[in-house]
Amino acid sequence: MRLAARIARRELRGGLRGFRIFLACLTLGVAAVAAVGSVRVAIEGGLAREGAVILGGDAEMTFSLRTATEAERAWMAANAVAVSETLDFRSMAVTERDGEAVRGLTQVRAVDGLYPLYGEVGLSPAMTMDEALAPRDLPGAVMHPVLIGQMGLEIGDTFMLGTQTFELRAALTREPDMAGGNFGPGPRTIVSAAALETSGLLAPGTLFDSQYRLQLPPGADLATLQSEATARFGDNGHGWRDARDAAPALRAFVERIGAFLVLVGLAGMAVGGIGISAAVRSYLDGKTETIATLKTLGASGRLIFAIYLMQIALLTLLGLVLGLILGAVLPLAIAPLIAARLPVPANFGLHPAPLMEAALYGALTALIFALWPLARTEQVRAATLFRQAQLGLSGWPRWPFIAISAGLAAVLIATAAWLSDLPYLALWSAGGIIAALLVLMLVAGLLRIVARRLAKSGLARGRSALRLALGAVGGPASDSTSVVLSLGLGLTVLAAVGQIDTNLRAAIQRDLPEVAPAYFFIDIQRDQLPGFRERVTGDPGVTRVETAPILRGFVTRINDRPAREVAGDHWVLHGDRGITFRESSPPADEIIAGTWWPPDYDGPPLMAFAADEAREIGIGIGDTVTVNILGRDITAMIAALREVDFSNAGIGFVITMSPNALAGAPHTYIATVYADAGSEAAILRDVARDAPNITAIRVRDVVDQVARALSGIAAATSWAAAATLATGFMVLIGAAAAGERARTYEAAVLKTLGATRARILFSFALRAALQGAAAGLVAVGAGALAGWAVMRFVMDTGYAFNAGSALVIVTGGAAASLVAGLGFAWRPLAARPARILRARD
Amino acid sequence: MTTPILDLSNVSLRLNSNAGPVDILRDITVRVQAGETLGLVGPSGSGKSSLLMLMGGLERASGGKVTALGHDLNALNEDALARLRRDHMGVVFQSFHLIPTMTALENVATPLELAGHRDAFDRAAVELEAVGLADRAHHYPGQLSGGEQQRVALARAAAPRPKILLADEPTGNLDEANGAAIMELLFGLRDRHGATLVLVTHAPDLTRRCDRVIRLRDGQIDRTGAREAAE
Repeated sequence: MRLAARIARRELRGGLRGFRIFLACLTLGVAAVAAVGSVRVAIEGGLAREGAVILGGDAEMTFSLRTATEAERAWMAANAVAVSETLDFRSMAVTERDGEAVRGLTQVRAVDGLYPLYGEVGLSPAMTMDEALAPRDLPGAVMHPVLIGQMGLEIGDTFMLGTQTFELRAALTREPDMAGGNFGPGPRTIVSAAALETSGLLAPGTLFDSQYRLQLPPGADLATLQSEATARFGDNGHGWRDARDAAPALRAFVERIGAFLVLVGLAGMAVGGIGISAAVRSYLDGKTETIATLKTLGASGRLIFAIYLMQIALLTLLGLVLGLILGAVLPLAIAPLIAARLPVPANFGLHPAPLMEAALYGALTALIFALWPLARTEQVRAATLFRQAQLGLSGWPRWPFIAISAGLAAVLIATAAWLSDLPYLALWSAGGIIAALLVLMLVAGLLRIVARRLAKSGLARGRSALRLALGAVGGPASDSTSVVLSLGLGLTVLAAVGQIDTNLRAAIQRDLPEVAPAYFFIDIQRDQLPGFRERVTGDPGVTRVETAPILRGFVTRINDRPAREVAGDHWVLHGDRGITFRESSPPADEIIAGTWWPPDYDGPPLMAFAADEAREIGIGIGDTVTVNILGRDITAMIAALREVDFSNAGIGFVITMSPNALAGAPHTYIATVYADAGSEAAILRDVARDAPNITAIRVRDVVDQVARALSGIAAATSWAAAATLATGFMVLIGAAAAGERARTYEAAVLKTLGATRARILFSFALRAALQGAAAGLVAVGAGALAGWAVMRFVMDTGYAFNAGSALVIVTGGAAASLVAGLGFAWRPLAARPARILRARD
Repeated sequence: MTTPILDLSNVSLRLNSNAGPVDILRDITVRVQAGETLGLVGPSGSGKSSLLMLMGGLERASGGKVTALGHDLNALNEDALARLRRDHMGVVFQSFHLIPTMTALENVATPLELAGHRDAFDRAAVELEAVGLADRAHHYPGQLSGGEQQRVALARAAAPRPKILLADEPTGNLDEANGAAIMELLFGLRDRHGATLVLVTHAPDLTRRCDRVIRLRDGQIDRTGAREAAE
């Protein structure tokens, strides 16, 4: 070992020139994973530290469609120092401008005098909440700046919610408890709860939530309180959150996005690993004579392996240190930028855990990818080394090295799955990366075979630049595998995102509005329904109107067992859900199984369940489902399974009950109106005038909102793919740099044989473009497959290949390869042949 | 008197090295007539190969004038030099310098393709057969022995029927038997195609087959030991 160390030290005296790409790949990969991990830990730290402020109280009880009962209020009052009550619902803010009514969908929060219990509300101009909401001539209100701008309001203007007029006193610049998940689809308006009493907005059946924030005495045991609340009030639909996990949705989001980005970082590291492998191979190719000489002098294969393993280990250590410094410092350097974009305070600093995680990934990656070329030095004979010096090392290493490589890869994947909060995603991602790399390797092999064949075919005859390019792509010591692997992974993700994004946009923005209603109207009271129907059905621009009674409830039990035991985490169990009742049977083709109840049915409660969801949950005809509606449990037997189409944005309910099951329960109606664009404004105006409590939701706005959210996700994923691609590009540069010597030699020989510089350059460009385009084509194929699978199996809709996005990917691949290849073509072209050839003699 | 096919007048070559400029060749004047076989001899480092490179336009003279087939090589740019070699010269090196990513056949066909011959591969196959390597046509250089590689290099140099053949110690890396076989092939090619041959060599038996031999010492022509004319 000491001898190996001595020789390794002498070898490294030559400097690290050949290892720039090795170090760059490793440093970048480790830095990315360390930085993402550090930011994630910082945010989680901030969430934990500021739990009460984020939540708006030490603990919170929430109720859907009702306020707390006397018993619940009493319990809260007995346990808390202070209790703040707020109500949350959607409504339309209406103002008048130039004689025309201007409407804006808003998420209203009605607050009491204690709000906020913790933290500060940001208002512009600065004032207290009491000043902002106090009744003067009119009650006051504050509004999110986006809605103020949208409605063209100024501070001091008035607007209406329902039948109540409010004076806008300030713009709402910050809600301290916003990050706790207290937000809805529209921009926020805050008013005093007392001022709403005369608005007519909170009639029975109106869709609203109530929240009770508790300020607890010091030392209160949150866990005990939670179990006490559960024991006392049972599963009555109350929600509980407390400062231990103030913003579960945000925390889960941060965890998921953090885990996702770490996985993206690992994909980047895998690509970087290819660069590492190529760098080690190239370095060892240059050392073949030294190795051969050492072997001739009596060095064993094991000693040779040890010598170069030590060098790689030292370089890995250097790469890890550089990466960790960068990964630790970068988040600190841009902390103010990140903090400004976060809805929560973050605890930026040096966090050892993510740094150690990144170091572990980096070390394992470097070892896995360096081991293969290293192992080959041990195996080859000195004589072969001399003969193969020009072509580099090739062949398979001995099986123990293959086994060790596989073992290390398994350790890396297992560690990533263990440390990630999304083990399944980690395993699937690792599987995906390995599969993608294998496919890319196969394609690279195929490309080489095809190129070799084409080089010998009639196509290339007489086209010397093409044949030279094909010969280089397919011949021995070709760098095609490196190029296709390094570009392919990033391009594949980009291609998949491109295909899915364009298909989803087409489905949502182009196809959906054709079948979707123009407007959803909610909170229609029973006595308002006839007038509403009369107005909309009498309009010649309206083609169809559908209405249905709606109540909110949540599934608590299935076949008398807790629902989650049966259905797991199915989306039907997430929160409260719209439930309707209906006397008449829907068209026969909608009923998949069972029979609808007869008119005037008066037996035990029955229900029709959406067929697909029933199948997913594993329930069917004869099973019982218990739903809690307004605090009352109603158990009904499934009498029919019904086909429900959720894809056209029409009215669709998972649960439809027999009317007798819900007799007397307060409910409202929802309506969908299919109208041409010209009639929309008049309908909206008339409905708002006659029934100000009815909220209209324009489907086009929702579609646009969803499309924006989707494009945001697509952009985020594209950026992540671009990061992988950036690493790939670096590997590409590494491959081009490593091949410069070979190209210089080739150029010298070709010049000797009479090739002009333009012809040589064209040949170099052609080979780079061929390799890049091949990577692009694979990416497009894989991307189209992924796009088809997602649209077919996840979105349950059709898929159409998007040629535009595919063309961009293939061209992009060719261009990237071209840039990297030609960047290293000038020196070979400029070199004098005599000097290059003499140097080889 | 006929115009020499190669004409070097007062040629010098100075290269920069880390230790400062080095004079490789000084005041060399050589004329080679068409069809002539010229041997360049001398100790290692005397400038023989550099002189050959100047003749082939693979290196540019620092001073003096190099003319090949009536073209002033110093006045031609890299591409014009390449075209001149493509059309009129074949070069054989001690280290063969085959393109490693191409098979033997492809290596031989390349200069023909560069010259635009549509039958490049057919002609290349004939040339390979002439050097006894028809059965190795689809092997890569890494799969061939040194002697075989040099035969491919010879076939490649001869394939375009060059007027000038430049050979830089073509047997230097080969054993005696292979070396002898290569020289037979080289002189055979010269005789078959009537090319002018300039040969750098250390082998005395080869110099005897040259029409004329120039001895170089320290970058200059050593007139004491050279056979300036055919004996």
